[in-house]
Amino acid sequence: MPGVLAGPPNVTTFLWLTVAALVLLSLILLYATYAIYVHRKLLGFMQSRLGPNRVGPYGLLQTIADAVKLLAKESIIPAQVDRPLYHLAPVIAFAPAFLVFLVLPWSSTLRFSDFAVGLLLYIAVSSLTTVGVLMGGWSSNNKWSLIGAMRSVAQMLAYEIPLIVSALGVVVLAGSLNLTDIVEAQRKVWFVFPQIVGFLVFAVAAVAELNRSPFDLSEAESELIGGYLTEYGGMRFALFMLGEYVYLLAMGALATALYFGGWYPLPIGGTLPGLDAVPGWIWFLLKALLLSFVPFWFHATFPRMRIDQLMVFSWKVLLPVSLLNLFATIVYRAFAA
Amino acid sequence: MKVPGVLKGLGVTLRELFEPKVTHLYPDEPYEFPNRLRGSHVLYVDKCIVCNQCANVCPTGAITLGGKPNPDPTKKGKVLDFYEINYEICIFCDLCTEVCPTDAITMAATVEHAAYRRDDLHKDIVWLAENPHNLAHVRKETSRR
Repeated sequence: MPGVLAGPPNVTTFLWLTVAALVLLSLILLYATYAIYVHRKLLGFMQSRLGPNRVGPYGLLQTIADAVKLLAKESIIPAQVDRPLYHLAPVIAFAPAFLVFLVLPWSSTLRFSDFAVGLLLYIAVSSLTTVGVLMGGWSSNNKWSLIGAMRSVAQMLAYEIPLIVSALGVVVLAGSLNLTDIVEAQRKVWFVFPQIVGFLVFAVAAVAELNRSPFDLSEAESELIGGYLTEYGGMRFALFMLGEYVYLLAMGALATALYFGGWYPLPIGGTLPGLDAVPGWIWFLLKALLLSFVPFWFHATFPRMRIDQLMVFSWKVLLPVSLLNLFATIVYRAFAA
Repeated sequence: MKVPGVLKGLGVTLRELFEPKVTHLYPDEPYEFPNRLRGSHVLYVDKCIVCNQCANVCPTGAITLGGKPNPDPTKKGKVLDFYEINYEICIFCDLCTEVCPTDAITMAATVEHAAYRRDDLHKDIVWLAENPHNLAHVRKETSRR
């Protein structure tokens, strides 16, 4: 893949890039469609009910029906909105979710690029979504949307920092920001074992970063009147939601690459007969899907947190713990290894 | 063993994932309604003496009925000619069955009245007489008591 995609800038390369992007986009949309379905099904099962089961066999076409409904809805735009920003905000919220797949290594050969600073790019690009959220809240010309956006942005900023600092522990151990190298460094042992504290902080911060329960304040219906996307309807609203679900897979894939040994099937070195026959990208995908469904489990279990608890937890618990973890990792790296 | 509440909660939801569900797929699977449900009326045409008490007591005036002289000249009284309940305005208060001296009108557990036209909610004597849908079952339960 990289060979074809990193060719000289001519028509062939351009066509390859377009085809690859379209394939990835359709796969991701397929994922998002069925992530929403699985989300609702899991929530239903965990609450002792059945979830969607009317549209198609086992309700399998439910999300498609929902998407058709959203597309067919009248597009209502309030009179006094800041039009350019209002139209741009869903795009800015969604595009980074798609863009971060650029740096994720699906196997040792299947990947879109081989950035030396892949992790850095992932984090930098994914934080652009925050801008989209703020734009959505601001341009809606509605003080409640603005307050909702402020709260969402405050939350996303607060949790971005422990997320990055805990991921830095892995970077120190692997000695690289390149996600391919990071996975390669886990040939012997997955980083989830030496970095268990870092992983726990990462997991909590990732759930908060994804705006998922128990940190789903930005979609809290009653308390915040729908948060930053009150004034959005139909497909624009759906783009915000789509971004969240795509991020779910992206975050699951990132956690897989950072902590769960990417395409390596066994947590501790070596191999078993038969395991090597399965291609690496399947292992990667399995782990990423599994990790991206853990938030649904959380959603069915935990009540929503209050905003002040949320902030205190991030700044007074997660940040010191992740800093200590980083410090301990550096000490270990400098003296023990 | 003492487990942190967070993990305990996760365990509960995970266990619930595999438990049987409480959902009843009502329109697809028939639902057995409670025996004494006031679902709709059953009329026993033979028992009715056309005393008009049910129509008089009905708070919404949903019942209209009329009689004609007994075709058998040796018998006295009237027999039922027409009987109609308008389920658009019936409030299922059960007063008609309470007041009926001969138990000619009783309640059955048939509840599915949804219709596309309002005319379909005016149930006539034929429909009411053929209504005993769950009634045999209901009777059995009541007599045991």
